[in-house]
Amino acid sequence: MPITNLLYIEDDPEIGEWVYANLQERGYTVTWLKSGEQAVEKAADCQLVILDVMLPGLDGFTVGGRLKQQYPELPVLMLSARTSIDDKLQGLKFADDYLTKPFHPDELAARIEVLLRRSGGSADPEPLQLKHLLVYEKENRIIDQGTNEEIVLTGKQFHIFAYLLRHLGQILTKEQIYEAVWNEPYLDGDKTLMVHIRHLREKLERDPANPEVIETIRGIGYRVRA
Amino acid sequence: MKLRPVRKFRKSLLTRYVLILMIAFVFIPVLIPVSLFASWAVNLLMNPEPLWQNKRPYGTGLDIETTWHQAAAGLKGASPEAIDEKVKELKKRYPDAALYWVDTAGQTRLQLPEQEMVPKHWSLEDTIAFMKQRVDADPFTVVAFIGGDERAKQGFMVLELPRKFMVIQNEGRQSDSRFYGVFLAILLGAFVLLSYLFFSDIRKRLLRLESGMTRPGPDGLPSLIQEGRPDEIGRLELAFNHMVSELKDSRQRESEEEELRKSLISHLSHDLRTPLTVLASHLYSLRQESLSDQGRQSLTLMETKISDLSGLMDHLLSYNLLSTGRYAMSLERLDVLRLVRESAAAWYPVWEKAGITAEVELPEQPLYWNIDAQGFRRVLDNLFQNLVRHAGSGRYAGITVEPRGNTAALVISDRGPGIQAVSAAGGAGLGLQIVDLLLREMGLNRDTVSTDAGTKVCIYPSIN
Repeated sequence: MPITNLLYIEDDPEIGEWVYANLQERGYTVTWLKSGEQAVEKAADCQLVILDVMLPGLDGFTVGGRLKQQYPELPVLMLSARTSIDDKLQGLKFADDYLTKPFHPDELAARIEVLLRRSGGSADPEPLQLKHLLVYEKENRIIDQGTNEEIVLTGKQFHIFAYLLRHLGQILTKEQIYEAVWNEPYLDGDKTLMVHIRHLREKLERDPANPEVIETIRGIGYRVRA
Repeated sequence: MKLRPVRKFRKSLLTRYVLILMIAFVFIPVLIPVSLFASWAVNLLMNPEPLWQNKRPYGTGLDIETTWHQAAAGLKGASPEAIDEKVKELKKRYPDAALYWVDTAGQTRLQLPEQEMVPKHWSLEDTIAFMKQRVDADPFTVVAFIGGDERAKQGFMVLELPRKFMVIQNEGRQSDSRFYGVFLAILLGAFVLLSYLFFSDIRKRLLRLESGMTRPGPDGLPSLIQEGRPDEIGRLELAFNHMVSELKDSRQRESEEEELRKSLISHLSHDLRTPLTVLASHLYSLRQESLSDQGRQSLTLMETKISDLSGLMDHLLSYNLLSTGRYAMSLERLDVLRLVRESAAAWYPVWEKAGITAEVELPEQPLYWNIDAQGFRRVLDNLFQNLVRHAGSGRYAGITVEPRGNTAALVISDRGPGIQAVSAAGGAGLGLQIVDLLLREMGLNRDTVSTDAGTKVCIYPSIN
């Protein structure tokens, strides 16, 4: 099983020790820095960076900006006690996620997994199990375990499903899905997405009338849960 | 900078205006003679006089008369031949004149040239008639006694010169009054032009000032304008620029103050949340230990309280920003229902976890309000958070749109114990105050109907 290296930058020793130990327990290899000084060098062989904002010397925003400049594909998760919307917006200019303190370690771990899966840096080589489906994300293959056959999707169907998988467990509104997949503003009353979802369900679901893989959250949107 | 009134009189607009008036007053008496002179000069240039007219070859009548009388006086005691000679000599001097002389016996002698009208022998009647005819007549006639006076008894000599040879002829060089009118018009026009330019300049500068005042620059403040002459308008421009600079300074100070406050709040948030995180980390570690049921319950309670405290801190800091007007609103026309759906999507897992059934019944058609997206999300977050915290027991969250007067209202309802019960337990007040502050800034109203069977919050645009 390949090792996932995480770079964790946190100046508070108590929080740092706790997170460091918790992530080690979860099977990650963690490099913990107490300032942003050597962040760029240490990030070279890491798959993800967890970054605090209030650091001695260079602040987290500056360090994060430099990291993204050097390694644009490297996911950065801001873990900060600064909760104002301005701080979040500033952080999310470059960071892939922003988690505020206090936080639950399970939530941190879940967010790390989502980011790793999204960037393809997940240590988990196992395919994703979605009800009766096995999804090999890197290979873009979906196997129906019931029939043991591969399900072939059209371009748009694949894009919609991939977008839902990238936001696993998250409810997405029709506007969000349409704009991410079609890359253009959603027009009110447009039924295109609904038609594509219906066709997608006909291919993915055992019973398209009672979908299990792509849930409809009434009045809100759609969700795919692991 | 302190602005003082215009002291230098010569720099004043009033001075310039008075100067123009004075020029006008002084100019009017001068204007007429100048026009006359100019008109005469143009006439002269356009109709130059013939050379003979200009020169007056025989001089004035007085000149001729004097010369003639002197010549006659000079012949005192002269013989008739000498007189003839003199007349011939004078004929050379006055070639256009008719000359003759009459001796004391009344006999006409030498005539140059010969004239039929002149009697050969002068009677007394002839002489008187001649004298009467020639008074102010043409030809101009000079009669002089030879020898100076009648006592010399030598007769008299006569010069007859047509008047055309001795007066300047006015024909063809009559003054042309058109030129006088033209010059008068040109000079009056110049005065009108001067006045127009004076007021046009003032108008142009006032318009530039107005444009500077009404067209804001990229920072939303009026731009500085170029200062002109140091007169009253120049001082106004200076004062305006001074005001804009003050405004910019003030905006800068305000912005710095806002940044300082935000920074302070960020640090405060950090300093408060860090120990909370440490506390949470120890609670988490403690949960890994074997504990009694009561111990686990205490841990859950502490975790909930830490979460509540964290939320309360958020509220407190947001309230601080909002109540001091430091929250920058950017109102735009947005689909409210889209924001509601996105916010509900984020809260749905929390509701699921809390066992709350969400019924979201929103129309397909968008509902556009002028709102600040972040502010409106915050409103929804606070309302949904209150719903989970204080109305979770109702196990229900309803989100719908209802008509309200001419507009529509967003309705969020629950089946909790109602606000009275919540207030008794404490904790919801600050969140709702933030909601009200944000709604007010966005021109929205909130109506809440709360009973022990649930609470219904309606949000709708204020009717202006």
